[in-house]
Amino acid sequence: MQKANTGEAPVPRKERAAMQKPITTRRVFLQKGLTLLAVTPTIPAFLDQTVMAIAQPNDVKRTQQPSGKDGKILVVVQMSGGNDGINTVVPWADPAYHRARPSLGHNDKEVLKLDSYVGLHPSLGPLKNLYEDGRAAVIQGVGYPNPNRSHFRSMDIWHSAQPEKELTTNGWLGRYFDNQCAGCDPHVGVSIGDQLPLAMRGDRITPLSFERPETYRYNGRDKDDYMKLNKIDESKAPAAPSTQPAPAIAKPMAKNKQIEITPANQLDFLHRTAMDAQVSSDDILRMVRGHDANGYPNGEFGSGLRTVAAMIGGGLPTRVYYVSLGGFDTHANEKGRHDQLMQQFGQGVAAFMSDLKNQGNDERVLVMTFSEFGRRVEQNASGGTDHGTAAPMFVFGKALKHGLLGKYPSLTDLDHGDLKYTVDFRSVYATVLQDWLNAPSKPILGDQFRTLDMVKV
Amino acid sequence: MTRTHPLLQPYKPSSDDPFDAIKAAHLLNRAGFGGRPDEVAKVVEMGPERAVDWLLDFPDAPAEEQTQSDVPDLSSIDGYPKNFREIKTLYVNKTQEERKAIQQQLQQANREAIGETVTWWMNRMANGPHPLQEKLTLFWHGHFCTSAKDERSAWLMWQQNETLRQRCAGNFHQFVRAISRDPAMLDYLNNTQNHKQHPNENYARELMELFTLGIGNYTEDDIKNSARSFTGWSHDGDDFVFRKFDHDEGIKTFMGHSGNFDGDDIVEIIMHHPACAPYIASKLFKFFVYEDLEDGLAEALGSELRENNYELRPLLQTMLTSKAFYSPRAIGSQIKSPIQLVVGTSRLMDMKVPSVRIMQGALSQMGQVPFGPPNVKGWAGGRMWINTSTLFVRYNTATAMVGGGALAPLTGRKPARARGLKDPKINVDDNGSPEAIVEDWINRLIQRPVEDDKKKVLVEALGENPREDSVKKMIQLIVSMPEYQLC
Repeated sequence: MQKANTGEAPVPRKERAAMQKPITTRRVFLQKGLTLLAVTPTIPAFLDQTVMAIAQPNDVKRTQQPSGKDGKILVVVQMSGGNDGINTVVPWADPAYHRARPSLGHNDKEVLKLDSYVGLHPSLGPLKNLYEDGRAAVIQGVGYPNPNRSHFRSMDIWHSAQPEKELTTNGWLGRYFDNQCAGCDPHVGVSIGDQLPLAMRGDRITPLSFERPETYRYNGRDKDDYMKLNKIDESKAPAAPSTQPAPAIAKPMAKNKQIEITPANQLDFLHRTAMDAQVSSDDILRMVRGHDANGYPNGEFGSGLRTVAAMIGGGLPTRVYYVSLGGFDTHANEKGRHDQLMQQFGQGVAAFMSDLKNQGNDERVLVMTFSEFGRRVEQNASGGTDHGTAAPMFVFGKALKHGLLGKYPSLTDLDHGDLKYTVDFRSVYATVLQDWLNAPSKPILGDQFRTLDMVKV
Repeated sequence: MTRTHPLLQPYKPSSDDPFDAIKAAHLLNRAGFGGRPDEVAKVVEMGPERAVDWLLDFPDAPAEEQTQSDVPDLSSIDGYPKNFREIKTLYVNKTQEERKAIQQQLQQANREAIGETVTWWMNRMANGPHPLQEKLTLFWHGHFCTSAKDERSAWLMWQQNETLRQRCAGNFHQFVRAISRDPAMLDYLNNTQNHKQHPNENYARELMELFTLGIGNYTEDDIKNSARSFTGWSHDGDDFVFRKFDHDEGIKTFMGHSGNFDGDDIVEIIMHHPACAPYIASKLFKFFVYEDLEDGLAEALGSELRENNYELRPLLQTMLTSKAFYSPRAIGSQIKSPIQLVVGTSRLMDMKVPSVRIMQGALSQMGQVPFGPPNVKGWAGGRMWINTSTLFVRYNTATAMVGGGALAPLTGRKPARARGLKDPKINVDDNGSPEAIVEDWINRLIQRPVEDDKKKVLVEALGENPREDSVKKMIQLIVSMPEYQLC
């Protein structure tokens, strides 16, 4: 597909006539958009991907860029605050576990055993079922060298995947977008939350982010007139870069510049973005409203996963979705709080997986969880745990090879009271990038990390 | 003054190209946060030169020195002193340990104190006595970037903000020396961890890469030697301290010079680098005028700055009175930053800036929270402000502000947390025709001509018998126009 701003392709008369009419509704837009895309510079930039995918779901070749109806999808679940990995994937058979956590440790009988050494938190029953079904895997002991115990810094490290860099401007998924989807529309990534996580931030591509689909729309009272004021008026001559009056005195620097910034160009850019936003907002709201699924837990996490499932079901051409579950910073009275979080987590993921199965999309989706760090082996005096290091990650999906990966870190051979990691988190990222998203991981992670034998090819 | 580039020649009004309300509003937008009709009229009367003199006529002093009561109000925070000044009095006759304990206690409500400081600043932008001083303070905040993330002390962030204000139009060389001693900066770029035995290069690198020269104008060896020169530059929680025992007294070689340098020597050598002045001058030009500079402009701006010994005022005066500034490429071509949008809307509607407690979510979703730049590079600006998510938030924020509505649907939070936007006062002129009312509000809010088709939509939305409610609806539509995103 030609990029819009060349604008010089000859336009057949019939289509030129079509262009004269303002495009006022999404429906008209979808009907006309396809024929107009190649020829007019004022068409919303992203539609060459998205509208194609939505309007022509059977056009496989087209829709696979970047994801579309058949592409693989990654869903990242962030557990914010530092999830207690030791009480999530419990080394129940280790006496050191019970010694370190006299009141916080789970009773052997309650633990949902995965093998003769580890088992799941008692509230993770729904995930135990997925595990037995071959749709859940646990990667044990994930961390990185010289672990940082600050929430902010460690979260930055997991997001950027650049532990050695002090100040990071982009994230590992953002770099994946930058590398793989040059010219992609912002729908390649969708994050549910109040701001775009660093992990998703690219230098060239800014994925979508919103708290709820209802916040991703125009909320003024007069929506019809709003549309009229923001529509693209095709009857006006398109503001091609070279036609704008420039000061006669000097030529603008042409090098490295794609477009000259003029008031008319800026307005045109805003109109196009407004049109993009409207089409995208309508689609997403329609998908979410029309989505019939139950079993999700109450709260932001459950509704976030439900929204993601609706967008996957609706055929949004998204490669990576991002949702968060917060509240894991359990320094005091961990027991009740962590039980609740585990229940919310297990129920949410299970509902999501069965939703996808009902849609027939379960083979396309891989879910990966992480937290910025695990917690100290020994419980503290307040019935909680302090910031620690390595922790397990979960992976969910149909294409998994094994249930348990990596090695559970020793509970006695510790580093300042904390676990020594056995798997570098960048190995997990590399595996997901290479074996799931089919992207070379080295340009994204800066180094070639050993991949895990995790995904069925 | 040299004004070597034709585009930097002073703009002279003529009958073909008069200094009209559009140009006056343009000046007030760029050199401040917008002007109401009476202010625009005043500036038209002054003419371009006198108006810029007036805008640049502010004391090179912190706000507190200008008006003693003009400090962030912290009285609503539990267990906190009324303002930052009182913190100092808390320290009197206290041991080091006790001072630490006080600092720790203050740190607990630090986020609230940051919020109050930002609220204070944004109101100063909107309604303070010196809009250009605040606009420049915002520019330098994005340049000498420091974030309050990582729980950086609100007290130190406020101090830095005052330093930026004091020096925003002064001497750039002195400015860099001051910033190199600024406690919040020393924290943010880890110079507090720059030890004689283990130099930390973070500040040394960004000093050249972002603050003075731009990438490619120095070597890795220069960074290492600069870092050594800055060893021992630290702070004690309140003020800059030079820890002599932690300072590397050896010979450093930096950009071809050798000696037992300290930080000031490094800054001095940097100031002589030919890349420095054009780098700073063109960054200012991009912020105030337009992003893509014509050939030769960066060099011309740079030599003007150099010839004035890095005094910023003459450069600003040249820029803001230049032909370039009033050219068609400049007027109405800038995408408002989120702060410009929020502060400007408050200003044009003659209302107080809503507190950061209310605006935080919106500002963050639009991508610009004061004291919260995304990273040390600051805000990229321009078209980077705009994508499908941020555009909705921008429309919805402005709409909620002028409509007096809740920001709840915008932030997704419960109304209880998001309420608090006050109704702006809107007087409906009973004698005005719908067309005249629309024209009035376009002149007030967009300040540039708008297409007839769009005016028609607004007139229809207003209805035949305009009432306050329908005027409000029409104003909401104006701030939801792409035109309103530009200034």
